Amino acid sequence: MTNPRCKTWEHHLSRRHLLGAAAGATLGAAGLGGLLHPAVAGELKQKRKQVLFIWIDGGMSQLESWDPKPNTRFGGPFRAISTSVPGIQLSELLPQTARQMHHLAVVRSLHTQDNSHSAGVARIQRGDPKDRGVTYPYFGSAVARLLGPGNSGLPPYVWVKPGSGGFKHQDAGFLGPQYGALAFGDGQPPENLVKRNAVSDQDLEDRDRLRRSLNQRYAVGRPPRNSEANDYVFDVAQTLMQRRDLFDMESITARERDRYGRNDLGRDMLLGRRMLEAGVTFVKVNSYGWDTHGDNFNGHASLMPKFDQAFAAVIEDLHQRGMLDDVLVIAMSEFGRTPRINGHVGRDHWPEAWSLAMAGCGIQKGLVIGKTNDTGTFVDSEEHDIGHLFHTWFRALGIDPVKTEYNNDGQPLPIAHDDCHVIQEALI
Amino acid sequence: MFRSLTCLWLFLTAATAVAETPLHVGIDALLEAQSDAPCSPCTDDASFVRRVYLDFAGRIPAANETAAFLADSDEHKRRQLVDSLLASDEFPRRLQQLLHVMFMERLGDHEDWQAFLLKAAQENKPWDQLVREILNPDPESPETRGAAFFYTKRLENYGQNPVDYPGLVRDVGRLFLGVDVQCAQCHDHLFVDEYKQVDFQGLFAFVGNTFIRRDVSFPAVGENPLTAELEFTSVFEQVPRQTGPRLPRGMSVAVPEFAKGEEYLTPPDKKNKTPGVLKFSTLKILAEQLPRAENELFTNNVVNRLWWTMMGRGLVEPLDLHHVDNPPSHPELLELLADEFVKHQFDIRWLLRELALTQTYQRGSAMPEGHAAASTIPDYRAAVERRLSAEQLARSVLTATGELDRLEPLTASFTAAFANTPRDPELEFVPSVKAALFVMNDDAFAECLEPREGNLTDQLIKTPDSGKVVDQALLAILSRPPTSEERDEFVEYIDGHADRAAAIQNVVWSLFASTEFCLNH
Repeated sequence: MTNPRCKTWEHHLSRRHLLGAAAGATLGAAGLGGLLHPAVAGELKQKRKQVLFIWIDGGMSQLESWDPKPNTRFGGPFRAISTSVPGIQLSELLPQTARQMHHLAVVRSLHTQDNSHSAGVARIQRGDPKDRGVTYPYFGSAVARLLGPGNSGLPPYVWVKPGSGGFKHQDAGFLGPQYGALAFGDGQPPENLVKRNAVSDQDLEDRDRLRRSLNQRYAVGRPPRNSEANDYVFDVAQTLMQRRDLFDMESITARERDRYGRNDLGRDMLLGRRMLEAGVTFVKVNSYGWDTHGDNFNGHASLMPKFDQAFAAVIEDLHQRGMLDDVLVIAMSEFGRTPRINGHVGRDHWPEAWSLAMAGCGIQKGLVIGKTNDTGTFVDSEEHDIGHLFHTWFRALGIDPVKTEYNNDGQPLPIAHDDCHVIQEALI
Repeated sequence: MFRSLTCLWLFLTAATAVAETPLHVGIDALLEAQSDAPCSPCTDDASFVRRVYLDFAGRIPAANETAAFLADSDEHKRRQLVDSLLASDEFPRRLQQLLHVMFMERLGDHEDWQAFLLKAAQENKPWDQLVREILNPDPESPETRGAAFFYTKRLENYGQNPVDYPGLVRDVGRLFLGVDVQCAQCHDHLFVDEYKQVDFQGLFAFVGNTFIRRDVSFPAVGENPLTAELEFTSVFEQVPRQTGPRLPRGMSVAVPEFAKGEEYLTPPDKKNKTPGVLKFSTLKILAEQLPRAENELFTNNVVNRLWWTMMGRGLVEPLDLHHVDNPPSHPELLELLADEFVKHQFDIRWLLRELALTQTYQRGSAMPEGHAAASTIPDYRAAVERRLSAEQLARSVLTATGELDRLEPLTASFTAAFANTPRDPELEFVPSVKAALFVMNDDAFAECLEPREGNLTDQLIKTPDSGKVVDQALLAILSRPPTSEERDEFVEYIDGHADRAAAIQNVVWSLFASTEFCLNH
């Protein structure tokens, strides 16, 4: 690879900022793909808030990433390295991310409530609010509801993941299925995305009009939910057909794919970035396989570079494109891993004291929030539960986490745990 | 309130002491007594014929079937249609599909399992017997042994993961008792006071020793001996406790002690891999204890699920969360259904028939003009729109096009497009982008719209009068005549289009893609 700090196409991109949309269209022909779709330029101007949520499923070890404790009892074999921010060190498994540290806020004081995967994943992503007998939405569904879909025509909550795609309506909880996640599996577009030759554009238009007219008549006197949900999926289907280019990896330069990493996470992060550029409000990028109960150190030695490369690349790109001020980036798991190293040279589940990283929209740059004790076993500053993070993220997105409430069929519900509050030092 | 209802019920019973009050009359009386708000009137014949065909034949009526029903002037024609459909050989197949989706939740499929379900539906096997055969499948009975697939599919390994016994325990509780004890595996349920850890562990003691038999080619389950009570501790209390096999709300079964090697009537044969015959089979006890009239969770679960099937909403919701703090929306009604179902020897066909004869079932799904739209509150003032299964959709599309002979090759693609993912119960209408793209662009679906000798599109194209085209298309696809407004709009569209055949295909497509088509309303 060439010097990661100097890529000619990045200069092109910087220039595009100056030249505006017209230049973008010209460069589009140069083979940079969905990046330079005319819609993107318009999107950039709007300064709409967006979220990139990177979910590291199974539990990334804080000691091998954001909170290294080299040469301590539980520290493990890896060293700590300096970063672009003097005085802040990360694990040596994050060399590229370390160069982006001046964009990041690392929280080392997480203290959450659930140490199981089955319940923990949902509990964290739902913000673990007080039990009010309702199923809360995942963060993605919440943001989709609160910020809306924008005018991209794409669904507000997209999930890019290995494995199968589909529509995960369960994420939406009481908000209703339309706020669920549209999942794209293995970087693939959904099936049946190409219009049949036998059907002309005029036919498509006619069909849509006739269908809508039938649905409007049918909806009279009936609860609107079913009709609306059905119309919505057809709308999204049509937009996706128009935006097939998002999935066209051939249009991406080899060098760009190398920068993100030629693996599932690299591929998905790149697709995630393209989704953000296309205007999707909330993009979740998923990495699996982090539950390193056995052989934690070799496990992290092979997993972390994938994360490091893709994460550093997306932070760099969002910054280069001037998007980072409006895109909130979060990288986290459902919990951290035990400082104690078990008999299988593994680390188990540890919600007591762990870390995450965030950047972008409304978030302070280049700092560490909170700290753990010398051996990393417990938080040695104010503890922060997921509820505090939900408050902080909503505030960063310009949503008042105290005054804003959901209306669940007349039942007012807080959007974040009512006993938690924002982490002020994390906010600009 | 309850007392007056009971009085009413007693009165009804007394007034017709000779001929017992039919259940459907009792149901309507109970619901009417509770509702003072206006109800949607009885649905029109076109909606009724579509609804009851979907429920009992698993498809919409063909155009000629709808036309015949609309033309019939017999005042008892609804009852006659219900009875003739229940007697047809389409009903067992519909019931088979219904039971398959309910029990397997798209986990997988097997021909022996389907054969078992079809046979059960054909014989109208009583619900308790059906459940008994699933819970303790008999490998010696070629007719019922396919029932073991309920277990064997759930005992399969997924990749590197160990067998998901907790998942099996959960499904036994959810599907046969209406209780989801998953969150009571490691401690008492945090939010449902009634669900204790011992409920999970007690069920686990019944099914936790099972394995897939490898000595036979059909689905079959073997059992290792349970030699002692299960020991468990709550992650919160760390106090060791024990239970034998035990149903929720039931008593623990004593675990007999046998000397080592004495657990079997017939010992397993390692050479032939035969599993042996146990003296103490927990599956046998499960099958004896669970499906009993005295087991309120068992009876309430089944009538609630069948009520949900026909009415679109459970009296207890969610269907698998029966507990004291989640009472039914209509407690006396649930009790009545359960009592009568037991009295009628768990006769599934009888119960479905009674439900179909109620006014509650036969109400319109739209509120009449001047009233607020039907609410989501379960007051049964209007019929609840129900999701169509992938199987119902495939059959309905091909019934409309007149090409049911093409069902076989199309079933898989319809299932892929419209079924939920495995383990995700198909309870609500959840339209998906995947399904929309299937309807818009899939080759298999597009073929249904193309004219072929004798099919719907072919017939429509050959009909010169565009008004008749619209009449025929709506009767075939939406099972009703068009409103005059619709008729005008479609005729104008067809006649104004340069390519008449393309216009007709677009009309047919829009009818299939409409919300009205993809719901049982």
